[in-house]
Amino acid sequence: MPLTTPWRSRALTAALLATVLTTSTACGDDAPGTSAGGSIKIGLLASLSGTYQAVGTEIRDGFQLYLDTHDGKLGGRQVDLVVADEGNGAQTAVPAATKLLKQDRVSALTGIVGGGSVAGVTPVLNETKVPLVGSNGRPELKDVSRIWHTSYLSDEPGAAIAQHVRDNVKGSVYAIGPDYQGGWDELRGFTDAFDKIGGKLANPDGKTTFTPFPATTNFLPYFARIKASGAAAVYTFYAGSAAVDFVKQYAQSEIKDIPLYAAGFLTEGGVLNAQGEAARDIYSVLNYSPDLDNAENRAFVAAWKAKHDGSPTTYALASYDAAAVLDRAIGAAGSDPTPEAINTAIGQLGQIASPRGTWQFSTTTHSPVQKWYLRQVRQDGRALSNTVVGDLATVGR
Amino acid sequence: MSGEVIRRARGAVAALVLAGLVVAPWVVDDYTTALLARTLALALVGVSVALLTGVAGLPTLGQTAPYAAGAYACAVVGSRISDVGVVQLVVAAGAGALLAALTVPLVVHARGVIVLMITLAIGELVVTVLGRWRSVTGGTDGLAGIPAVRPFWGLPALASDQARYLYALVVVATLIGVVLVLLRTRAGLVLRAGRDDETRLRASGHRVALHLSGAHIAAGAIAGAAGSLLVVAQQYISPADFGFDTSALLLLGVVIGGTASVGGALVGAALVIAVRDWLFGVLPGYAPLVLGALFVATVYLLPTGVTRARGRLRPPAAPAHQPTAAEQATVPELRR
Amino acid sequence: MIAVAAGPNRIDPYLIPALDGVAYGLLVFVAASGLVFCFGVANILNLAHGLLYAIGGYTAAAVLDGGWASLALALAVGVLAAAAAGALLAGLLTPVATGNHLSQALLTFGVALAGGSLLVAGFGPDDPQVRVPAALEGSVMVAGHRYAAYRLVFIVVAAVLAVALYLVVRRTRAGMLVRAAVDDPEMVACLGVSPARIRAGVLAAAGALAGAAGVLGAPIIGPGTDTADTVLLLSLVVVVLGGLGSMAGTLLAALAIGEIQTLGVALLPSAAPFLLFAAMAAVLAVRARGLAGRWRTT
Repeated sequence: MPLTTPWRSRALTAALLATVLTTSTACGDDAPGTSAGGSIKIGLLASLSGTYQAVGTEIRDGFQLYLDTHDGKLGGRQVDLVVADEGNGAQTAVPAATKLLKQDRVSALTGIVGGGSVAGVTPVLNETKVPLVGSNGRPELKDVSRIWHTSYLSDEPGAAIAQHVRDNVKGSVYAIGPDYQGGWDELRGFTDAFDKIGGKLANPDGKTTFTPFPATTNFLPYFARIKASGAAAVYTFYAGSAAVDFVKQYAQSEIKDIPLYAAGFLTEGGVLNAQGEAARDIYSVLNYSPDLDNAENRAFVAAWKAKHDGSPTTYALASYDAAAVLDRAIGAAGSDPTPEAINTAIGQLGQIASPRGTWQFSTTTHSPVQKWYLRQVRQDGRALSNTVVGDLATVGR
Repeated sequence: MSGEVIRRARGAVAALVLAGLVVAPWVVDDYTTALLARTLALALVGVSVALLTGVAGLPTLGQTAPYAAGAYACAVVGSRISDVGVVQLVVAAGAGALLAALTVPLVVHARGVIVLMITLAIGELVVTVLGRWRSVTGGTDGLAGIPAVRPFWGLPALASDQARYLYALVVVATLIGVVLVLLRTRAGLVLRAGRDDETRLRASGHRVALHLSGAHIAAGAIAGAAGSLLVVAQQYISPADFGFDTSALLLLGVVIGGTASVGGALVGAALVIAVRDWLFGVLPGYAPLVLGALFVATVYLLPTGVTRARGRLRPPAAPAHQPTAAEQATVPELRR
Repeated sequence: MIAVAAGPNRIDPYLIPALDGVAYGLLVFVAASGLVFCFGVANILNLAHGLLYAIGGYTAAAVLDGGWASLALALAVGVLAAAAAGALLAGLLTPVATGNHLSQALLTFGVALAGGSLLVAGFGPDDPQVRVPAALEGSVMVAGHRYAAYRLVFIVVAAVLAVALYLVVRRTRAGMLVRAAVDDPEMVACLGVSPARIRAGVLAAAGALAGAAGVLGAPIIGPGTDTADTVLLLSLVVVVLGGLGSMAGTLLAALAIGEIQTLGVALLPSAAPFLLFAAMAAVLAVRARGLAGRWRTT
């Protein structure tokens, strides 16, 4: 007899959980992405929990802002936005994307923070033939026929700033970044371009130093090596918590007087608040800054500030632009905007007016050909902010 | 009397569940079928966790290591050598077994929480290697573009969610059957006896370390085979699939299902993984909160089950307060 | 003589990492000591321990405004909040048997998951800013190198904390009970001290220690979405490496981890991602083998 109770309650739990699961799947309707009423289903996948939640929230809010300022419509159709959580990476992103694509049957997918998540979602996209208008991470892909990005390729920021660093730094530059695909690409973009124009790295073996990611919370041992290398400047890329740790520790270290150049994510958005004074004077390269002077940007920043604290980030901007891309593509896709039709229409958009300035999709990589800006962390009223101090190269291929 | 009733009820439930799983792809939508296929792979790893945790008495957080070895071996074979499922399965199981064999010296002499930490370290080290060995693994962004598998020479490639799911189901059912048969042999009995009272078994002349090594390698082979199923279900793998959160969820799923029962472990691990995957889709932003609350609730829903699981780690007949060998084994430091 | 002449230059770049290893190690020690109590005394595998640290860290970020008074206030609030969370955890753990590590892991992992997302919901997904008193904000010169003033002061404070902890465990009645509970739980039960009270007390004390570590360590391992996991992992490594019931072992393990993460990384940067776990696995495996050998002979 004593054996019966646990087994029964175990079975009860199992049944309970199974019921929850089956009712959920029963709820999913098989309606196609567009309906007779002129509405359209769009899926948004972003990290709304976990390590990258800050970026994921910006991506969701950027897309939502475009909808809110356009009567909730894209291409004249009422949008039914289905949001799913990407979590920390591909292991949670793949099932969540599968739900959006195979159960909700969305007509297009947008968002996605991690490059690895994009790579993981690709097989499902190819199977369901739905286009992705990604707004952040972009992995190396063999086939981009259905994949578009409004953000950038990871090696572009470094390539855009290399000439400026070469012209303004007298001496060698130490390159350091996080040890994962994003870090490798960001740093390779810089070191390749820098090497091509005759720049010299200060790293002892001539190769970039990579720090374990995300395990590194203490950068002091690396700073000791930078000091010993005699570098005249440092180029880096970090984002999120690692960016906060890096910048705060840099400012208190023995290399605090060495100029720091970085891909803009080092001081972008919420991390700048956490860094505080430690971030002052850092130079960075990015495709956007909230103080850009054009009509689209003024409207975008004003609409953002009406809803949120602080200024919009490049993450929010890229997602806002993804909505703009879908808006025009769905409008151009005709009376029956199937996923295929939307995908074809995206390829024919041409110039896109955006708060970052006008840009267009590259025909080979399906990512933007766009201008990059040099920014510096300066006082702006009571707070520190990234101020544009110059234009850099227009990059894209 | 009740024992007989339970056994029959259990058999009936198992048969019902199996029948349900076979007809499932014709009842539910593609998403659920895809989710189930992926869950089956992870549930099979759960079985290997249960073999070590509940049967051999080595609680592990490191089965993601042979699981990863199997998955990557299968992906490499699949993209470069053969798209035949049986071949990939054998290679994957071999890779898992090999990795498990290599780590045997680290694991078999330890017990309890020490095993947890050693296996955790092994899992983390393997993930680190996977992220950095870019020429083979594709680095942290993972390996995509793995061709669809054909189960056997001459058969068509698996192109739909239904086909992939049924393939996974057949493999998992076969392997579980093998495990259940093996557990009824002498080796399985010795393993369980070692878990319950290691000293006595050793005194009676059994070489406990040898049996544990065998169990560890067998569990590695199962996890490796599960890795090849993940490749089939997802057509993509990355180090993130084999991280700490996967191993932690699997161990917890196995604890919920009952560490010493293969069927329980299968169901427990499958439920935890499926609920996790499902929550990220339907409750964006709240998945960890709800999952955490579910774990806490489970402990309260299974009060007797929990104590019973505890009883399993000790000889059931022993008085509650008498320190047994098993207890010493759980926390060796306490006795120094 | 040659060695001495070559010494300073060769050692010089590693001075600051070595010093910083002490700061990092002491932080890990204070953070992990609570977990040692949990595990060694109450025999509870508390996977929510990192959450208790994170509570301290977020408190520090919310309360600190750059003044000394706010530091004292943050310490008081952080310690109390984390101690309360620890006591709450003890309450939740009531139905789970002592020593049943797997069920404890299930419950505390659930609490860590849910509690972590509640913290992020309350304080936002961005890492908050931590403003230490202005006098500690800058850096000071140590043997010709610049080093963060806060970390230098932290070394002193954490060392004092470690000594105080040692004295409490060695010299007070509570400490005696704690040691007795490690050596002989049944005897303590016979003394009329209920195991439930010991459990609640130990978890609250562990919370207080983790909370203190979270507040004081916020400028070093700051509050954020991953803080709880980072701290839990480091603490678990310390607990297992240091053995239980021995403060000296814990301290030694924590300092070793601190030096591995700083000096080790400075010396062997290419091996950095493997150092911590490889060292832990090797030490544990060797020790387990030794232990197994001893059992066989007895």
